[in-house]
Amino acid sequence: MRKHTLAALLSGVLLAWPAFAHHSFAMFDRNAQVEIEGVVKEFQFTNPHSWIQVMVTPADGGAPKEWSIEALSPNVLGRAGWKKNTLKPGDRIKLLINPLRDGNAGGNLLLVTLPDGTKLGGGA
Amino acid sequence: MRALLTLGLMLLAVPVLAAGADVSPGPKPARLPDGKPNMTGFWSPVGGLLDRNFGPGAEVAKTTGAQGAQIPRSPHSPLKSPYKEKYETGLKDAAAGIVRYDPTGLCMPPGMPRMMGAIYGMELLQTAGQVTITSEWQAASRRIWTDGTKHPPEDELLATFAGHSVGHWEGDTLVVDTVGVRDDVLIDQSGLPVSDAQRITERIYLKEPGILVAEITVTDPKVFETPWTHVRRYRHRPELRLQEFVCAENNRNVGSNGEPVFP
Repeated sequence: MRKHTLAALLSGVLLAWPAFAHHSFAMFDRNAQVEIEGVVKEFQFTNPHSWIQVMVTPADGGAPKEWSIEALSPNVLGRAGWKKNTLKPGDRIKLLINPLRDGNAGGNLLLVTLPDGTKLGGGA
Repeated sequence: MRALLTLGLMLLAVPVLAAGADVSPGPKPARLPDGKPNMTGFWSPVGGLLDRNFGPGAEVAKTTGAQGAQIPRSPHSPLKSPYKEKYETGLKDAAAGIVRYDPTGLCMPPGMPRMMGAIYGMELLQTAGQVTITSEWQAASRRIWTDGTKHPPEDELLATFAGHSVGHWEGDTLVVDTVGVRDDVLIDQSGLPVSDAQRITERIYLKEPGILVAEITVTDPKVFETPWTHVRRYRHRPELRLQEFVCAENNRNVGSNGEPVFP
């Protein structure tokens, strides 16, 4: 009987725990993917998350606007080959992101395309 | 001659004594000098973030359904009131894109049992009378007393994030009992808190070379109808070492009023 109970318990609860650290991703529209292109202003290779500050010129040719793109932490990205200078100020890059739901200039990084065409992952 | 002999013995003795806490990269002996299985080292969850490629050729993370990855994974067992209502509210908020308070967003430790999720990995150290586990996430650390220490009496038990853990060996399995976890610790991102009645029993063992298993059973009669068990598997990463993770370094996700914000 005891064995059956244990087996039932184990089978019923082999659940995955969330993969994300630190905060909810509810702020992002995980169903939407948009690509933005811009010039790196600053790369913060930091905990608990890395940030890419990028200046994006609107399609209508207005003044460049600063976007904040959130990426994973150095312990994940560094082990995948990223370095603190993987993105340098002045680099023209493309970013595939889940945008913020509220329409502000920010998002969760999915893929970044470096000036030499290399594509890197960077977010969960 | 005697001096040379003494020196020789010292040189021999040093690696043996150090073996219990050897976290240098590379293969490790299967057993420690005391005969216990050698679990010391850096471990990352099987299928976790460190198993994924974020370099060239990385695949775009899948978005799974309306809430994507934000569907809370609790409850692990039927819930009792008022925890049931708290959980359902959390589910609705997440679906609506409302970011709710999570202590880890303010750089608080995840606490038990959440820290054993060890999303980035964890360092396990075996030393005399003590096993120490540090999750790289938030540098959350816990100590398991294996020297015969008992839990303190109820009125002396101070609630902490990691709780008070005592362990003993049953053959090659480390059996751990944990009480005294703070009741504002969350089980996971669903926002479901644990209660002061939570008790956690773990069976930690090496399943096969390079794979560590933790069977984590949570008994919390104020929150759950029945005990539930989560089985977590970790991969030995002899090439890796625990890295510093100071969450307060650049936490842009919290406003001056303590509420979660972006960016």
